[in-house]
Amino acid sequence: MLKFMLACIMLMPLVNSWWAVQSSLFILTFILMLYCHHDFSNYMAGWCFNIDSLGYILILLSFWITALVVCSSQKVLKENNYPSLFLLVNIFLLFFLIMTFSANDYLLFYISFESSLIPTLILILGWGYQPERLQAGVYMLFYTLFASLPLLVSLISLYNMSGSLTLGLVENVSGAGFISCIWYVVTVFAFIVKLPMFLVHLWLPKAHVEAPVAGSMILAGVLLKLGGYGLIRVLPLFGEANKNLSWLWVSISLVGGVVVSLMCLRQVDMKALIAYSSVAHMGLVLSGLVVFGWWGVNGAVVVMIGHGLCSSGLFCLANMVYERIGSRSLLISKGLMNFMPSMALWWFLLSAGNMAAPPTLNLLGEISLIISVVSWSKVSMLSISLLSFFSAAYTLYMFSLSQHGKYYSALFSCCSGKVREYLILMLHWLPLNVLILKGSTVMFIL
Amino acid sequence: MVSMYLSSMLFLLSGSLSCLVLSLLCLKSGQAWFIEWELLSLNSSSIVMTLILDWMSFMFLGFVMFISSMVLYYSGEYMHGDSNMNRFMYLVLAFVMSMGFLIISPNLISILLGWDGLGLVSYALVIYYQNEKSANAGMLTALSNRVGDVAILLAISLFFSCGGWNFLFYVENMPIIGSGGLLCGLVVLAAMTKSAQIPFSAWLPAAMAAPTPVSALVHSSTLVTAGVYLLIRFSPALEGRLSQTVLLLLSSLTMFMAGLGANFEYDLKKIIALSTLSQLGVMMSILSLGYADLAFFHLLAHALFKALLFMCAGAVIHSVKDYQDIRMMGGLVYHMPLTGMCMNLANLALCGTPFLAGFYSKDMILEVAFMSPINLVSFLLYALATGLTVCYTMRLVYYSLSGDFNLGNLYSISDEGKIMTNPMMGLSVGAVFGGATLAWLIFPCPYMICMSPVFKMLALIVSVIGGVLGYLLNLNAVNYNLNSLKYYNSVVFSGSMWFMPFLSTYGASKNFLGSGETYQSVGDMGWSEYYGGQGIYSFIMSSSKILQVFQDNSMKIYMLSFLLWVIVLVFVVV
Repeated sequence: MLKFMLACIMLMPLVNSWWAVQSSLFILTFILMLYCHHDFSNYMAGWCFNIDSLGYILILLSFWITALVVCSSQKVLKENNYPSLFLLVNIFLLFFLIMTFSANDYLLFYISFESSLIPTLILILGWGYQPERLQAGVYMLFYTLFASLPLLVSLISLYNMSGSLTLGLVENVSGAGFISCIWYVVTVFAFIVKLPMFLVHLWLPKAHVEAPVAGSMILAGVLLKLGGYGLIRVLPLFGEANKNLSWLWVSISLVGGVVVSLMCLRQVDMKALIAYSSVAHMGLVLSGLVVFGWWGVNGAVVVMIGHGLCSSGLFCLANMVYERIGSRSLLISKGLMNFMPSMALWWFLLSAGNMAAPPTLNLLGEISLIISVVSWSKVSMLSISLLSFFSAAYTLYMFSLSQHGKYYSALFSCCSGKVREYLILMLHWLPLNVLILKGSTVMFIL
Repeated sequence: MVSMYLSSMLFLLSGSLSCLVLSLLCLKSGQAWFIEWELLSLNSSSIVMTLILDWMSFMFLGFVMFISSMVLYYSGEYMHGDSNMNRFMYLVLAFVMSMGFLIISPNLISILLGWDGLGLVSYALVIYYQNEKSANAGMLTALSNRVGDVAILLAISLFFSCGGWNFLFYVENMPIIGSGGLLCGLVVLAAMTKSAQIPFSAWLPAAMAAPTPVSALVHSSTLVTAGVYLLIRFSPALEGRLSQTVLLLLSSLTMFMAGLGANFEYDLKKIIALSTLSQLGVMMSILSLGYADLAFFHLLAHALFKALLFMCAGAVIHSVKDYQDIRMMGGLVYHMPLTGMCMNLANLALCGTPFLAGFYSKDMILEVAFMSPINLVSFLLYALATGLTVCYTMRLVYYSLSGDFNLGNLYSISDEGKIMTNPMMGLSVGAVFGGATLAWLIFPCPYMICMSPVFKMLALIVSVIGGVLGYLLNLNAVNYNLNSLKYYNSVVFSGSMWFMPFLSTYGASKNFLGSGETYQSVGDMGWSEYYGGQGIYSFIMSSSKILQVFQDNSMKIYMLSFLLWVIVLVFVVV
């Protein structure tokens, strides 16, 4: 794995040339694609790093999204808004993400997990466009830090107990007594806030709304998935405690998902709507994970990848509208089909992805998640059905309001889309719809 | 450059011909092909994309392609001059493709490709015209269909206990699953939303906001029959289940409700939509009695003449300056004789006039239904709905074709548009011969019908009564009183589809949108903030204010706090 990290470090001196970084990122992505072999559970093992199929697909996602982030943030270059620093921050973020997904030591994982917050914060504070970004940054930082400092204590106690923090060598915390349960909650809560679960999700819409397109894309595309990734890594340590407490997470996230979906129907801010819809989707991921079934964990991974591509694409679209219209409000940027007819197709395709229409990865993942959660308890059918129904409702609401009907009369004309923009959207959409043909590429195979 | 409507017509027509030939081959040899593509396999359950190619799917595909080729050709003139014509064509082609995927997939997961595709593409087609009415209709359509998608998703999760989703293998012995009843209920629910049965009927007339060629293809012959088709494939599993009984009652009610509603409707397209709804009720009800083959037969025959009827309606609307209100028409048979003939043909076929397409399927369905042990309610609904069908058809004939001339003083009505009349002629052939041909092909040995003369004549009697009533009641002149005002309440109730459009739009969205608002203000901007970011912030600020007082270097406070702690310590120690 070191070769990719070194490649990242070597990109840092190149930040003065936007194009060099851009093309190198794409080339690195394609090189990484060549390593898609699942013959062994762990490969590319080195000092503290190795990857398995789960780490691999998430690293690939990080590379992919980062390349697309650079591609879609050309406004930074055009307006000369510190483009080299911007690239540097992005490369740092990518570096930390690779480290997180390939670390085979819980402490190293923890450190890189936390370090990814810093470049994200800098992205929001540095390239966001409204004064409220300060508050949003603080929200993001403190919500996640508040939950993850206890995780450090838990990891150190694990070290104390088993004498090692290497993945797979740590002893399981047996029993479901009071201490085990507290330990369990403390450990998983950091990831649950990162996902985020309903009730601790407040940082997410704020961060998304204030972040520049790069921040939104990487946040929705990869950073939320850190939570799911962490859960997959730590949950097996707490088998019994998880069995006793999983009902809590499933209930909160499913009912919360419905509530969040209802709130989505009342959003007029495009980015807030997409952010809230992420909360609903991640709720399903969380319930699939804590149910502890093979279908659940695989569905969660597939939804993580699918949602990463799809919502990142939607944020891209929202930004393209913002760059032209200057507003994220659905009341102003409406009827856009009249201005950008070809873009409306991309809106439609990515919206279809967001509501888990076939043949997207989201559908495959959601089916697996629904299977596992319904097999766990039939009562959950109620909220799953509402969740699934409203996911279509708010996505269609967003699509129809932004694309159809009369346009805002203060608008006169705008560019209907550049090749670069269509390329970005295509590169979001293509893997989302093609990978399903061989679903096992995006699965967690031991 | 060849126009898109021509090339798609040729392409689809050749596809249709080959499908029909293959269907005949399969029918003769009894062959069927299964093709599977494994998407993924997990814990020995495989998610596969399954294609089934047997006579049934080939024949349905052939019909769909034939009708869509005619419709696309027809759109060449109907949509002429529309600035987004190519978008329209691509959407219709995408729709045909989704329908194809639906027809050839007997797998609960891979059928979603067609099923969701139909829902989404038909949404894009309904909102094709950019106005509020289309947007609302589209939302109603898409969300009603989404209920069915969700039902299929849940059914998939229950089907999991079979270890595979190729339902064709499992429908024969469904009781092996613990929750088979629930599963069947969900599948029936899904079919009911797609086929617009009560209580999901509101979307079908609303979807008439789409361009008329779309209505001809989508909302008469293909999309709405997807539910029926799913249940035809699924029907062995429904035998003797509660869901079958419920489906029988609801579909008979739909049939009656739609027939009644069509008698009070003045929008030409909505009348035809309601008649589609009524025929869907017929298909669903005979399906729930266990005669899946009859339902399939009627599905195909109905597709032919209903598409024709919609095309004629489109031609009429196109000529009368895009008015859809039948009170603005009248005497059209003198101005557009060819269209009038086709329209009449389609109408007669719909009523089940002997030896036209509808006769073979509808009459057989009625006789089989009367012969089977159904309860009185279903029987009465059947008889009434049959009469009502003829009733609204005659009313339509009076208002549009034969009645007085009601047009404005500037008009240009003609039959000259060859691009519109040619496909109508093509479908007319189907409406005349389709029924008989299908009957000979699908039922090599005829159904055994045995009933008393009264029952045998019943369909004819109610049809004649309905026809006479429908024509006479609507004859009007300026000096007549408007009798419907006397029964205002019941007229409004029957004419508005039993308030279903109101209930499924305002009634359904009011509470959800309201609670969304409440959660937003009470939850995310209320308690979640209070116990989250803002609450902690203000707590820390106020606490640090208190602490700051201690840092003011006031000797008295230091002494006081020292004393307090001593007291506390004393209590704790002692």
